[in-house]
Amino acid sequence: MTATVDTAALTAWVREFGRLIAAGRDLLTELDSAIGDADHGVNMDRGMTAVLAALAADPPTTPADVLKRTGMTLVSKVGGASGPLYGTAFLRMAAAAGAADALDAPGYAKVLRAGLDGVVARGKPAAGDKTMYDALAPAVDALDEALAAGRPLGEALRAALRAAEQGRDATIPMVARKGRASYLGERSAGHQDPGATSVTMLVSAAATVLGGD
Amino acid sequence: MVGLVVVSHSRVLAGAAAALAAEMIQGVPVPVEIAAGLDDETFGTDAVAIAEAVAAADRGDGVVVLMDLGSAVLSAELALDLMPDDRRDRVVLCPGPLVEGLVAAAVAAAGGAGRDEVAAEATAGLAGKQSQLGAPAATSADTGDGAGDGPSATVVVRNRHGLHARPAARLVALARSLDAQVRIRNADTGSPWAPATSLSRVATLGVRHGQRIEVRASGPRARAAVDRVVALAGRAFDETEETAGAGPQPWAADQPRGGPADQAEDRGRAALSGRAEGGPAAQASGGTGAGQPAAGWPASPGIAIGPARRLSAAPLAVPDVPAREPAREWQRIGDALTAVRHDLARLRAATGGEGSIFDAHLLLLDDDDLLAEVRSRTDAGESAPRAWAAATDRIAGEFEALADPYLKARAADVRAVADQTLRALLGVPGEVVAGSGVLIAADLTPAGAAGLDPGRIAGVLLASGSPAAHSAILLRTRGIPAVVGAGPAVLEIADGTPVALDGRTGEVLVAPAEPVLAELRARARDQESRRRHAAGRAAAPAVTRDGVTVEVGANVGSPADARAAAEHGADLVGLIRTEFLFLDRDAAPDVAEQEAAWREIAGALGGRRITVRTLDVGGDKPLRYLPAPVEANPFLGVRGLRYTLRHPALLTDQLLAVVRVARDVPVSVMFPMVSTVGELLRARRMLDDVIAREGGGPPAGLRVGIMVEVPSAALKAATFAPYVDFLSIGTNDLTQYALAAERGNPALAELADGLDPGVLRLIDAACRGAGERVTVAVCGELAGDEAAAPLLTGLGVRELSVTPPAVPAIKEAVRATDRAAAADLARAALGRPDAAAVRALLGAGR
Repeated sequence: MTATVDTAALTAWVREFGRLIAAGRDLLTELDSAIGDADHGVNMDRGMTAVLAALAADPPTTPADVLKRTGMTLVSKVGGASGPLYGTAFLRMAAAAGAADALDAPGYAKVLRAGLDGVVARGKPAAGDKTMYDALAPAVDALDEALAAGRPLGEALRAALRAAEQGRDATIPMVARKGRASYLGERSAGHQDPGATSVTMLVSAAATVLGGD
Repeated sequence: MVGLVVVSHSRVLAGAAAALAAEMIQGVPVPVEIAAGLDDETFGTDAVAIAEAVAAADRGDGVVVLMDLGSAVLSAELALDLMPDDRRDRVVLCPGPLVEGLVAAAVAAAGGAGRDEVAAEATAGLAGKQSQLGAPAATSADTGDGAGDGPSATVVVRNRHGLHARPAARLVALARSLDAQVRIRNADTGSPWAPATSLSRVATLGVRHGQRIEVRASGPRARAAVDRVVALAGRAFDETEETAGAGPQPWAADQPRGGPADQAEDRGRAALSGRAEGGPAAQASGGTGAGQPAAGWPASPGIAIGPARRLSAAPLAVPDVPAREPAREWQRIGDALTAVRHDLARLRAATGGEGSIFDAHLLLLDDDDLLAEVRSRTDAGESAPRAWAAATDRIAGEFEALADPYLKARAADVRAVADQTLRALLGVPGEVVAGSGVLIAADLTPAGAAGLDPGRIAGVLLASGSPAAHSAILLRTRGIPAVVGAGPAVLEIADGTPVALDGRTGEVLVAPAEPVLAELRARARDQESRRRHAAGRAAAPAVTRDGVTVEVGANVGSPADARAAAEHGADLVGLIRTEFLFLDRDAAPDVAEQEAAWREIAGALGGRRITVRTLDVGGDKPLRYLPAPVEANPFLGVRGLRYTLRHPALLTDQLLAVVRVARDVPVSVMFPMVSTVGELLRARRMLDDVIAREGGGPPAGLRVGIMVEVPSAALKAATFAPYVDFLSIGTNDLTQYALAAERGNPALAELADGLDPGVLRLIDAACRGAGERVTVAVCGELAGDEAAAPLLTGLGVRELSVTPPAVPAIKEAVRATDRAAAADLARAALGRPDAAAVRALLGAGR
């Protein structure tokens, strides 16, 4: 119950996210080729490869440092819309982490919600627009609810992952209203949203790495 | 002044949009920065780069940011978060369209508008297009319904395309500078009034050629303002000047040709006429009605004697026959274009590296603007020949109307290929020479020169033209003696009149007396026997009398050239013009294709060294698959190494092919158009990376060098020397850059002379800067001038690379040289005042 998320744990989270992105690169690109410009996998992989290299070259010293450098690297290396979206999310997370050396479970949830708020501020998505928001928002809500109900962080993160997966799968019938996919209109229905897919990997990485309570 | 930032997924797109906007504000330093792409080729946007671009564009009056779509907008918003508060307050993210908005914003900013006004102009940037296409116009803050009171005037717009973007930009710039509120409207359509300070609003007026605009002003200096606008309209909105560097997209040959020969009247010619008069028969032409053609420019060496022959072409007139249905007429155009493309491709293949002019002609046949006009004319019921003639005539006319002489000279290319196609359409045979003898013509197209039969045509005498024109280069390659720029009098020479010319001196003799003819025949025999002698020894090394070896190589532009080089005894290939493999196709050749091409050339040379020059293209020779921004002056633009460094994938592939071939045969690689050591080092690093990636260390036979074409590079030779194995002086470009005289311009033929002492001093500086270790080569036209061989040897040049047929004669010239005497000769030449004096010193006529 006293799980703490420190610099090493956050670094491991980001590394696991990078691994999932690399492993899922072709899937993401395939999903994006159906409704976008077929670059989400390549873009995210390029960004996360650069993040991992940057973190390895000069190991971060605080949680905020991990998150800020991840955000800045994604901003410059991803290229597509996910660059500013993930970049803003991580930069907002860094700001929420403040000067703390480690985060407790509510602190981590607060950081993740700040990331979600960043996505909202940047992309102005609404629920049902067929975006990463449709997976991330229910995940953050589920995390808060589980923690409020007294669940340990690991269990709460697994609940968050289930919510993210449900949200991700729910994007399949949606008609895109944001991004390149929105140009397709009705034709975007029937395809899983690549952004919702990659952000589910972010939650999954958290459940894997931070969930060992 | 408000700065502008262009945010786009694509660096190429942003660069082109910025170039388009820059055209509108010539001379006004509006800061425009680009934040686009992750690199030259990867699409993407980068908030950090955007923040940096905003910082660079911010001169204190704020910045307006224009974006393309999607992540460009998100990254620009994020960039705001990344900048200091005071700057963020000065930045406007503009919702206007990227291209139209940028153009409108640039004009507004150039006129001193504030950032909000600039952004509003950009946001309204679609208004002109919407009005033209009948869509509802974007709303604008100022509806400008009434003109109010004040003085007014009405003027006719005389610009060919009406008040289109460029003249409109001039009007807006003027209106913004005036101490009055100026409004205009289209008096012929009764349009609403628009503020003359708004480019987007002026564009909505749709003012066409011949229509009247009404100008009205209010404010303190209203009368003066109206007068200024009327005066501007009277000057056609300065369009001739404004379009000097712009105009229609140039499809661009690599040098202009042709022009009235009488521009070439000058001291050199006067001297030559003196010499021609020295031949007693020069005046014995009274009976021919020929007047007295004196002499012209030597354009292709050799003596030609024979009866005058004229090009006879069936007259090319568009018949007045009714058109069939549009689809049939359009089909005729397609068939004719296919036939001409086929002919041009054949000529291109037959002329090797010197045939690049035909690439430009081929490009013209694919010109969208031209074909669209032809199509709309056939659709409107015109016959195919009439539609083709009218459309090509308009385009040639546009070029002729331009002030920029470089673009103006494109008109000749347009007319050449337009006539060729019209002949194909009408089934009229092309120009043919009846009988054999000396061909006399006003000028010769490259296709005409390439199509001459050397077995029947002893020589060519042109009234117009320049030795640097493509047709002259082709004549040299084909070994047909020629004198060009001889003046219009030569056109009066009656068919069949005996004519003699010496393509080495420029002498022309009409109906010469028998003793003169005998002397000429003797000279021709002498030249022929020397040629045979040289050919017999061509394969032997060229060693000066005192034992200095000068390697004589060949410049090649195709595997066929390489075989010719081997036949003529070339010691090496001193220059491969790799462009032949890259132009006129839809994608760059891959590494394997390049490797195979260089191996074929190396094979033809039997293992002798080959020198691969990396791609030397620029805005004048655009690659279809890597479009470059249009430049007003491509010869001073992004070309040569400047271009390939911007396309690292392209350069890497070239270097990879070179490294692979260098494993098996000696290969030199050289970079063209180098200006600074920094550029060279970047290229060398890429070469090192390629070698490291390939493994196996640097190939033993690989040498690295640069072309010396930029005068400053010649003067800085010592700073390049530590990083190269050789310098290769491209005297053609070096000459035109050093003398500020374009080599294809016939009016400057005397000026653009590689023997100018200024050019020789640059060569001298390069040789001295190179030091002992670094070899200096010359691969320009000057290397092929036999008279120059001792001079270049005396300056320290140890390799000459020339057209394949010139190799034997240049080797002989080297063999006749004594190094000590050559050094004295070189010293003396450096002190002469001009090229003519140097030629006199060399004992060679021109």
